[in-house]
Amino acid sequence: MAETSTGPTPTPTGGAVVTGLLVEAIDLHKTYGYTKAVTGVSFSLRRGEILGFLGPNGAGKSTTLKMITGVLIPDRGTARVDGIDITGAPLEARRRFGYLPESLPLYWEMQVDEYLRFVASSRGMKGAEATRRIDALIERLGLGRMRKRATGALSKGFRQRVGLAQAMLHDPPVLILDEPTNGLDPQQIVEIRALLRDLARERAILFSTHILQEIAAICTRILVIHAGHLIADDTPDALARAVDAGSWEVVITGGSELGESSRAELGLASPTRSGGERIYRAGSTIPASDAAERLAAESGGRLVAIRRDHATLEQAYLRLTGAAPGGGVA
Amino acid sequence: MTGVGVVYRRELKAYFNTPIAAIFIAFLVLFLSFWLFLYKPFFAFERAEMRSLFAVMPWALLVFAPAITMRLWSDEFRVGTAEVLSTFPLHTRDIVLGKYLAALSVLGASLLCTAGIPLAIGLLGEPDWGPIIGGYAGCLFIGAFFVAIGCFASSLSQNQVIAMLVGVFLGIIFTLVLSPMFAAILAAKSPALARLVEQAGVISHFDSIERGVLALSDVAYFVAGSVLFLALNTFNVEWKKY
Repeated sequence: MAETSTGPTPTPTGGAVVTGLLVEAIDLHKTYGYTKAVTGVSFSLRRGEILGFLGPNGAGKSTTLKMITGVLIPDRGTARVDGIDITGAPLEARRRFGYLPESLPLYWEMQVDEYLRFVASSRGMKGAEATRRIDALIERLGLGRMRKRATGALSKGFRQRVGLAQAMLHDPPVLILDEPTNGLDPQQIVEIRALLRDLARERAILFSTHILQEIAAICTRILVIHAGHLIADDTPDALARAVDAGSWEVVITGGSELGESSRAELGLASPTRSGGERIYRAGSTIPASDAAERLAAESGGRLVAIRRDHATLEQAYLRLTGAAPGGGVA
Repeated sequence: MTGVGVVYRRELKAYFNTPIAAIFIAFLVLFLSFWLFLYKPFFAFERAEMRSLFAVMPWALLVFAPAITMRLWSDEFRVGTAEVLSTFPLHTRDIVLGKYLAALSVLGASLLCTAGIPLAIGLLGEPDWGPIIGGYAGCLFIGAFFVAIGCFASSLSQNQVIAMLVGVFLGIIFTLVLSPMFAAILAAKSPALARLVEQAGVISHFDSIERGVLALSDVAYFVAGSVLFLALNTFNVEWKKY
């Protein structure tokens, strides 16, 4: 039972389901009042994976992470961390992950090392073991000069590092981080990414973000959540390709924007501008080039190209979440 | 160290590393000294006793205890530290108990700091120490009960002021509504109800301990009352996850 095992080091227990998966979210549902925050979210995560959890604000990212960490109890479904059910054996499951919440909550009056010492005792670490681990993390996260500072007096970047130290203190096999680079400067973001990449070798990392470069930079897999539903689960490249498939675009330079009737004739959406060019997205059928040439000339411009639309991850995401102009939910 | 001990030590540090505990202690000592020596004409009666002070104690603690406890949970929920705390391998009931014991320690320290008053009376005259010790025991019991109420109230709101007001309000129910005075009014209509009202309130139990009678029923009343509100506190913290 969770109650009887001691120490922060994960040890296999009789209750564990051995699947080789470090995180399993199984059909998670959560409703706040009349609002369905999360509906039927399922996914899993293996050692070595960095899973980016992407979605617009209010899509259900934080709610899902909170259900996996047991901060919230799902209305339906469950989550397992390293095979341990978070609702069935919460204490045992909590020893196997570290969690960094989005708002970086710390006890403002405590000094950095005092806070980390409290976290260590809460996690059952004692004396020399705790000191060694705290020293190592303070060194690794560059918190040396801040050791004796009250956490309330730290800049956001340093608070983030203290939060990360808190999550990593017991060396868990799973790290769950809610917007870990939010509010950091570019230098700090690069450092945190390098750290996560390094950490992921022996662990599974699940983190949420709404910054797409983040996903492209470090994730091995991406989950897109929108309005409480999981709408994509793939590698960043595959996702961009999948959204991309079959769509064409017409590029016209100069002149005025094509009128609605011209666009309708070619089956084009409203354009996006890129330099002096207007890019019109077409459907999966290739627009007739002679008609495109004629209509471009009529508008005073010139047809540059009719080409395959190579979606970036940004475009893929915007189309998936239905936020792109003229783009529908895939 | 158990979960209770870890949380207890952190909370106690939070009280004493900040001016919070010092302010509470100074406030209680000053108020009680003022009450006994200036407001109630202690010197006019020429009696070396603390009856008038212990008479006001339930009312002082009614406000004082929720003031100590108001930040315990409301701050955790407001700042979000409760979220992190709930991912540590600690039982909620251990966290509740650790916080409660820390607040109770601050209350105990405050009462200890008022020891100057009976010591001064000892120098001035020859007081009967029995009622004074009984009075302090009564204060500790009623204080423990009000601290438990305060802990529960603190878990109800992210706003400390609201938490304190709810704590005072609940305290008033147990002091003023369920009081011997109100029981006396009810006695004419329904003696059974009057007895129930008196027994459910804190004053009758406090009075009998203060008189120096440490009856099991009075101790059991305060212990059961504290356990009830700590259980409600635990339930409420758990319930927020749903």
